[in-house]
Amino acid sequence: MSNIKIKSKNLNVYYGDKQALFDVNLDLNEKEVTALIGPSGCGKSTFIRCINRMNDVIDICKVTGNIEMDGMNINDKDLDVVSLRERVGMVFQKPNPFPKSIYDNISYGPKIHGKGETKSELDQIVENSLKKSALWEEVKDRLDEPGTSLSGGQQQRLCIARAISVNPEVILMDEPCSALDPIATAKIEELIDELKKTYTIVIVTHSMAQAVRVSQKTGFFHLGKLIEVGKTEKIFKNPDNKMTQDYITGRFG
Amino acid sequence: MNIVLIFLITIFSVSLFFYGKSKTKTISLKDNIKLNALPKFYGYYLVLWCSIPALVFLLVWSLFEPVIIKSIIIETAANQGAIFSDKNEANLIYEKIKAIHLGTYFGDIDSILRESALAYAKFINLFTNSKVVLIFGIIIASVIYSLKKIKNNNKARDDVEVILKGLLFVSSLIAILTTLGIIFSLLFESIKFFSVINIFDYLFGTNWSPQRAFVRDASSITAAEFEELKDAFGFIPLIAGTSFIAFIAMLVAVPIGLFSGIYMAEYASIKVRRISKPIIEILAGIPTVVYGFFAALTVGPFFRQVGENLGLTVSSESALAAGLIMGIMIIPYVSSLSDDVINSVPQSLRDGSYAVGATKSETIKQVVIPAALPGIIGSVLLAVSRAIGETMIVVMAAGLAANLTINPLESTTTITTQIVMILVGDQEFDSPKTQSAFALGLTLFIATLILNYIAQRAVKKYREKYD
Repeated sequence: MSNIKIKSKNLNVYYGDKQALFDVNLDLNEKEVTALIGPSGCGKSTFIRCINRMNDVIDICKVTGNIEMDGMNINDKDLDVVSLRERVGMVFQKPNPFPKSIYDNISYGPKIHGKGETKSELDQIVENSLKKSALWEEVKDRLDEPGTSLSGGQQQRLCIARAISVNPEVILMDEPCSALDPIATAKIEELIDELKKTYTIVIVTHSMAQAVRVSQKTGFFHLGKLIEVGKTEKIFKNPDNKMTQDYITGRFG
Repeated sequence: MNIVLIFLITIFSVSLFFYGKSKTKTISLKDNIKLNALPKFYGYYLVLWCSIPALVFLLVWSLFEPVIIKSIIIETAANQGAIFSDKNEANLIYEKIKAIHLGTYFGDIDSILRESALAYAKFINLFTNSKVVLIFGIIIASVIYSLKKIKNNNKARDDVEVILKGLLFVSSLIAILTTLGIIFSLLFESIKFFSVINIFDYLFGTNWSPQRAFVRDASSITAAEFEELKDAFGFIPLIAGTSFIAFIAMLVAVPIGLFSGIYMAEYASIKVRRISKPIIEILAGIPTVVYGFFAALTVGPFFRQVGENLGLTVSSESALAAGLIMGIMIIPYVSSLSDDVINSVPQSLRDGSYAVGATKSETIKQVVIPAALPGIIGSVLLAVSRAIGETMIVVMAAGLAANLTINPLESTTTITTQIVMILVGDQEFDSPKTQSAFALGLTLFIATLILNYIAQRAVKKYREKYD
């Protein structure tokens, strides 16, 4: 059994008057992929946005309860969000490279955190990140071209490279393949398999097949509540809850 | 008379609308047929047929009636023995005849004039009567035609659409033709100017003193005078003054406008934004003449006072005062345009930046502004073209003498100010002084056109990136 990296306890999230998460208790294991599934609007994305405090960006959002990473309270008001996000990277649903060169897209994060003070150090970080995201061979000769000139799948791998450029411990992926074709999706999944050796990964997905392929642990959300969580194999073969059973067999959602 | 006619046409049209509507309804009820369009379209159809031909005829008639009557009257007067050597004298006699007819002529009336006045009265009468008869004829003909169409259950919807399309086309044609007319009149007057003053002397001359060419017929300028005039129309001081004042204005407007745009787009809460955005935009609604006297009466003297206290010589009409006020006037343009472009930078880019741990100001500086840059440049260029075309503030606050200076405390002048100065008061329309106004106008027009073109290209390029 691997160590618990992130632990949430009675986590509640409110958008204004509307409650989006109800008492979520979910543990994420270190160097493992946890998949979160569930119908749209069920709170999966809201949950992962609690882990790197991206919900701070939304004015009306309020988070109560406990969420810890290695025993550190993420929800603490005095927590330095910048260093939290250095440790918890994120990849979004739609590839969102900055309108900068491929090189600048990757070096952006390290520069902000004061890593890579010399040009050669920075070059090394960029190269490593691109190699880890399996993009290096495709772009090594055109690092000064704009990131937006890449194809959709390449852009998403660029965003993954951007996330790992600051050497995080956790990577959050919010439906990273929903805007990609099957071939690009396969590449990303392959990459996730590789990345889990180094990073703790949480992936939100609408594809059951993807959850089965990439994850070791799966959590099923419905209407803001965590209905069931367990080993991926068990959830998909023999779920305890009727609702989980109905969802994964496509009877609702 | 024309007003009565237009009134009558309107009344006919309105009543025909209701007639057409009810008529088609009864037709469809009686014969139990399906109408090809809603009844109101038949109403519109009648209205358009009743009004447009008659109104067009009235317009054309009113344009040509005075011209035709005038030529007839001048000819009759000539036949009766009136003597005139050129067009101006003929015009004078015609005006006299008209005045006699209206009863406002108080000079001596000889037999020729009296006879002509009677003839004039006769013709006016004849023309008015035939106009009324023809218009009614046209109305009756077109109404009969359209009623017949309606009885046959025509496709009134399509026909109305075609006519409306035509009307809209004519409107845009008028807009385009007027613009072209203005450009060509600028061009032709400028060509006259450049036939006297060499275009290179104009473009590169460093001395602007058009009053030297006062009241002088361009065609009769002697060689000596021409030599002297050569360096009276130097464009350089004007473009320098214009650019200088615009530059000062941009120094004020770009930072303040841009920063307030950033604040509005990124930091202000919805509530603050809802209140403060309209307030900033009120600045754009203040008439420029108000800014002008504010600059001339308050800011200019204030600067002079401060300058005196500091031991500096400050002219009370200084480039600084004019530029400063102009800058304040332009702030809302820069601020609201850059607010818009910053707002249209997708949120996903900001999220991406926050997610690697960037702070808000880092995100704005390194991701949002670069992404919005083409749009911001566009808004700044639009503001520049606004600044160089601005007239009232500089006329009131910048001074009239064409100083070639880069001292913001001295007075300087701009292209627009000089155009105003040249065209105020009595004019000799064939003197190079007056014509130089057109040349200046043309140059200014070309300059703003180029700036606007570049600005629009920049804005468009930006839009393509995210749509």
